[in-house]
Amino acid sequence: MKDWKAVAQASGLGLSGEELERVTGPLAALEKTFRPLVEDLPPGLEPATGVLEDIE
Amino acid sequence: MTIREAAAALGSREVSSVELTEAALARAERANPTLNAFLTFTAEHAMEQAEQADKERAAGKDRGPLHGIPIALKDLFLTKGVRTTAGSKLYEHYIPDHDATVVEKLRAAGAISIGKLNLHELAYGITSANPHFGPVCNPWNVAHSPGGSSGGSGAAVAAGSVYAAMGTDTGGSIRIPASFCGTVGLKPTYGRVSRYGVLPLGYSLDHMGPLTRTVRDAALVLNAIAGKDVRDDTSSHRRVVDFVPEEDSHIRGVRVGLPENYFFDRLDTEVEVAVRGAIARAESLRAVIKPVRVPDVDALNAVARVILLAEASAVMEPHMGSRGSFGKDVLTLLDQGRLLPATDYIQAQRLRRKMRAEFEKLWEEVDCLMFPTTPNTAPAIGATTVQLGGVEEDVRLATTRLVRSINALGYPALSLPCGLSTSGLPIGLQIVGGPFEEALILKIGAALEDNGVGIPKCPPVA
Repeated sequence: MKDWKAVAQASGLGLSGEELERVTGPLAALEKTFRPLVEDLPPGLEPATGVLEDIE
Repeated sequence: MTIREAAAALGSREVSSVELTEAALARAERANPTLNAFLTFTAEHAMEQAEQADKERAAGKDRGPLHGIPIALKDLFLTKGVRTTAGSKLYEHYIPDHDATVVEKLRAAGAISIGKLNLHELAYGITSANPHFGPVCNPWNVAHSPGGSSGGSGAAVAAGSVYAAMGTDTGGSIRIPASFCGTVGLKPTYGRVSRYGVLPLGYSLDHMGPLTRTVRDAALVLNAIAGKDVRDDTSSHRRVVDFVPEEDSHIRGVRVGLPENYFFDRLDTEVEVAVRGAIARAESLRAVIKPVRVPDVDALNAVARVILLAEASAVMEPHMGSRGSFGKDVLTLLDQGRLLPATDYIQAQRLRRKMRAEFEKLWEEVDCLMFPTTPNTAPAIGATTVQLGGVEEDVRLATTRLVRSINALGYPALSLPCGLSTSGLPIGLQIVGGPFEEALILKIGAALEDNGVGIPKCPPVA
C-alpha cells in the first residue's frame, strides 16, 4: 500500500501536521478499496475516454 | 402551485406573469434572512422579463409551459451581466459576458430567473455550509442542512419561493438536496443536457438538471433544456422526446429492480420503511418487483472518487496559489487530488469502463432500479458524522453512498419524496434508469406521485 504521508511530504504542498492527517487519512482509506481493483484489471482494457461513446 | 397549474392560470389570464414574479420575489426575499438560499436577486431584470412575457401572451405568442414562470439558477450557471460566484471567494466579483446554454434555453422557453442560488463552495461538497456566503438552511428545519451542493436550489423550491431551480450533480448534488428538502430532483443522462457555460467540477461526471415540486414539472424543465449543443463535445445527438408523462400513466409490467445487496445496507430505519413502502406502492400498481444483485457499488464509488479528485484538482490548479481563498473542506479535497498520480486517474477510467459493462447487463433483467436517495435524513448543520446501522460514518461519505456511483455510470436518476421522518424531515426515493431512459423514470415517478407517494407541502418558513 502506498504511504500517502510520504507522498504528501515529498509533494512540496507544505502541509502542517493537522493538514497532513486531514489530507492523507481519507486517501489511505480510499487506497484500501481502490488498489486491489487496479491489480485485477485485465491488461487489454482501455480507459473510458468519455462517457458518451460508451453508452450510445 | 405547480408549474403546470401556474401555466394554466397564465393561459386563462387568471394571473399575470408580473403577479407571479412579484409574488415569487416577495416570498424569496422574505425567506432569505432565514434560509440564505439566494446569493443574488435579479428583481429588476425579472420584472422586465415578466412584463415582456405578459405582452407576448396578450399578442398571442405562447412559448410553452415555462412562459412567464419564475425560476432560479444555482450560482454555477454563467449568466451574462449577472455575478456568478460558484459559492467561491475566487469568483466573488465575476460577471460573465455570456450565458450558459441551459440559461439560454430556459430564457427561450420564457422562464424568468429571479436570482442566483447559494451552494456548497465550488459545488464540491454536500452540506452547502458555505464558508464565504454563509450556510443554506433546510426549510423543514432550519437547524438542519439542505444537502448539497445544490442546497440553495433545494431550499428555494421546498420553501415555495420558485417553481423550479436548476442544479448540478457531480456526485449526487441534485438528488441529495432533493432528498433532504423534499423536492423532486432529476439528474439526466450524461450528455442529455449541455454543460457549456457551467463552471466545471468533474468534467466527466458533471450533470445539469432541475429541482421541482412535482415529477411532471421536472419533465417540463427537461423538455426545455435537453438536446445537442455544438459548444459541448460531450452532449448527445440522441433524439429529444416529450418527457412529460401522460395523465394517468400506468406502470403495469414495468420491471423494477430491487437491489438485494448494497443499496439497503446501513439505512436509517425510517428511510428504509418509507422507501420500501413506495416500492410496495409500485407493486400495487402492477409493476413487477424483481430482486437483483448489483455489481460492486463500493468499488465503483471508489473509482468515482478518484476520478473526481483528479478532475476537480485539474480544474482548480490555476488557483492553487491562493490557498487562503478556499474553505477548509474544499482545500483538503483539492490537495488530495493533487497527490494522486496520473496513473491512478487512468486506472480509474479503465475500471469505470469495466464496471459500466457489468452494470449494463442489469438492463436485460429490469427497466429501472429503486432504492433510497440517501441513507439518512438531513443532518444537523455542522454535523461531521452520522450514525447508521450502528456504524459511525463520515457525513459526506454516508450521504453520497447511494448516489455517487450513478454519476460514474452516467445513468439518469430521479429523486422524489416518499415520506417524512418522525422528526419531520423528508425522505427520498431514487429511481435509476438505463442510458437516456429519462422518459421511463419520469413516467414511473409520476405514476407513484399520482398514487399517493409524496409528502405534504413544507410549512411556511418563519
